[in-house]
Amino acid sequence: MMKELKEKIVQRIKANFADAAEKNDFNYNRLDFTVKKETIPSILFYLKDEMGFIHLSDANCVDWLEEGELELVFIVWSPKDKIKIFVRTRLDRDNPVMDNLDMIWPQLNTYEREFREMFGVQVTGLEAPDEFILEDWQGPPPFRRDFDTAAYAEKTFWERPGREDAQDVRETIANRDGEEIPDFAKKYSR
Amino acid sequence: MSFFDLNGTLKPLTALKQFGKKPHTISYPKESKEAAPRYRGLHFNDLDECIGCGNCSMICQNAAIDMIHIDGIEGKKGDSGLRPRIDNGRCCWCALCVEVCPTGSLSLTKDYLYVSEDPDSFLWTPGKDNPNGKEQISFFSTEETSLNVFNRVPMPELEGKERVKSFAEVVLGYSEAEARAEASRCISCGLCTEVCPEHMHIPEYINAIATGNDADAVRIIYDNNPLPEMCGKVCTRRCEDVCAIASRGEALAIRWLKRYATETAATAEITREIVNPEIREANGKTVGIIGAGPSGLTAAYYLALRGYDVTIYEANAKAGGATMYGIPKYRFPIDSLDKQIDYIKSIGVKILFNTKVGKDISFKEIYDKFDAVFMGVGFPDAWPLGVDGDDAKGSMQAFRFLYMINSGEKVDVGDKVVVVGGGNVAIDAARVSRRLGADVTILYRRRVKDMPADWEEIEGAEDEGVHIVPQGIPIKIHKDEKGHVKAVEYLKAKMVPDERGGRPKPVAIEGSNTVIEATSVMAAIGQMGDYSFLPEEFTDKIKIERGRFVVNEKQQTGDPKVFAGGDAVNRTADAISAIADGFRACKAIDEMLGKK
Repeated sequence: MMKELKEKIVQRIKANFADAAEKNDFNYNRLDFTVKKETIPSILFYLKDEMGFIHLSDANCVDWLEEGELELVFIVWSPKDKIKIFVRTRLDRDNPVMDNLDMIWPQLNTYEREFREMFGVQVTGLEAPDEFILEDWQGPPPFRRDFDTAAYAEKTFWERPGREDAQDVRETIANRDGEEIPDFAKKYSR
Repeated sequence: MSFFDLNGTLKPLTALKQFGKKPHTISYPKESKEAAPRYRGLHFNDLDECIGCGNCSMICQNAAIDMIHIDGIEGKKGDSGLRPRIDNGRCCWCALCVEVCPTGSLSLTKDYLYVSEDPDSFLWTPGKDNPNGKEQISFFSTEETSLNVFNRVPMPELEGKERVKSFAEVVLGYSEAEARAEASRCISCGLCTEVCPEHMHIPEYINAIATGNDADAVRIIYDNNPLPEMCGKVCTRRCEDVCAIASRGEALAIRWLKRYATETAATAEITREIVNPEIREANGKTVGIIGAGPSGLTAAYYLALRGYDVTIYEANAKAGGATMYGIPKYRFPIDSLDKQIDYIKSIGVKILFNTKVGKDISFKEIYDKFDAVFMGVGFPDAWPLGVDGDDAKGSMQAFRFLYMINSGEKVDVGDKVVVVGGGNVAIDAARVSRRLGADVTILYRRRVKDMPADWEEIEGAEDEGVHIVPQGIPIKIHKDEKGHVKAVEYLKAKMVPDERGGRPKPVAIEGSNTVIEATSVMAAIGQMGDYSFLPEEFTDKIKIERGRFVVNEKQQTGDPKVFAGGDAVNRTADAISAIADGFRACKAIDEMLGKK
């Protein structure tokens, strides 16, 4: 029953959106499509208005650092069919631009602010205050994988007084047993 | 309206029913709400369980965790003695520190109240500042949820049935992918380096392997060990006993990773190319070394690098000492040893083979000829069993048996071998006898778990069909009419706790005599030195006590010119301790002769 229903949905979406690449080896009630970013507004409208996927469960972004891409993922839910669909699209990581979609679901506005602030996605036409969660943020978008949290913290926050007695574990042990770590090996010490 | 209004009197009393109800207002004294089940509040650290590896402080993205000394906690083997202190002004309660803690000592509690007037009083030493935090733990890691990988990449091996057919190497070695995966389990704390007698730079070379820099790994390894491939195959690897990951999982395969790295250099020439050691200009000083075992070779290698003219006198036809003649070839193939010896020779170490000091050349001659002398003479003799019938044909010392086999001699052990002992020599002799086609029984006076042999060796022997009889004390060897071993008689033993707190002692049970048939009996109950090469004029200064040379912390004997190391000095009787002795002696000799 569920299988037939899923097949029907797949057929219908493929008939309407030629670029929808499906990856549908998931069990149970999940379907998954990847489309071009230009197709995103129309496929989301279509799913919501024509096919009963009236609920937006989640919208998120994945940083594919090695592939030079950001991926937006929209998860929509049909209360009638009890099926959820993942709709994905890839953006150029160096110049990620996406159209504003909050006319489909007003709550997308919040997700889009997150895309913008945390992943650096430029959302064209988004009407929202400049800041979302971060205040006076100067650094790179912090949810990108190449953001070095530790380095940022070190640069930004001062050392609290009273921490000068901190010891290095490796050094403590080496000093105790008289081990002489050669200089060329030290780059592999932690 | 009457004078007495019944309603007006009774109605207010209905308010009394409110006493039985739960009030909607805040109750005093104020009660805090119980936090959520996996709430991430203030840290708690079980100070006894913590080993001070510092992994929490490394992972912290806010640099909020310092490792500090705490009064009352001293460092020891397997414990850096340091404990984490959190700067709660920086902590963001992500709990990564908890998820990477190998011991599971660090956790977060339901306690989230912390009030102070001083904005800099955020420093918090979990466990010390909240000794009762254990009762409030809410966020903790288990073996499943921890971000550490607790399972070792299994080492491919020949199967037991295949192994006994030949002397082919049993352990097959990691592939590149396996080595990288295993190496990346390391958390680089360095606790292992302290228990390594030679203090090898373990986290550094493992990290080099993990990041794909095998050549750097080899260079780091050769910094203080010239026989690493041997150690990579047969080291007693005490390092793995204290591995932080082993507190809840399987220790890093430190030995196998060293083996992997050294095997990437397939020949002595490639090793030379990779290590590319800096050899100092000849300084005109000479050092004579007696014995080409691990300690002698180590001293020779590092002295030669420092510009000394080094000559080794070796009684046997091959170098390697006990690792050549004592360890069976299925554990340590001869090609591997040859490769390492060739490399050591290639940097200028001279080895005179078949030259027994005391016979082919006198000790005095060596003493007079060289500026310094190092003795790494080892333990060439073995203890006999010392029971009735010990002189029977077919009764031998396991050490001697291994020597003959490793020299390529044929030894007829018959089809039933009994090995007495529980150390690695006993297991080696047993497994070699299996390869010669005999049924083998190991007779050991304590329990299997008391055996000093490596657990992997014991398991290997069992896989190969060696029968182990624990708690058996041999009392007699029966001979046949030709004076050949016929059977071994032993008494069963019970374990009696030691009153002084030592390990339990085996005590023979009277009348429990048992006889097992045998064609050969091998004693593997210990080795001893042979110091007959040392003329009397030297024994005043070069002292021997309880069968071993007496040396100071620099491996120096009573004669300042003479140094000693290896089995003839230390009690641990393993190659890595011998290597450590050789390295220490090298530094001391260099210090002594460099001043002149």
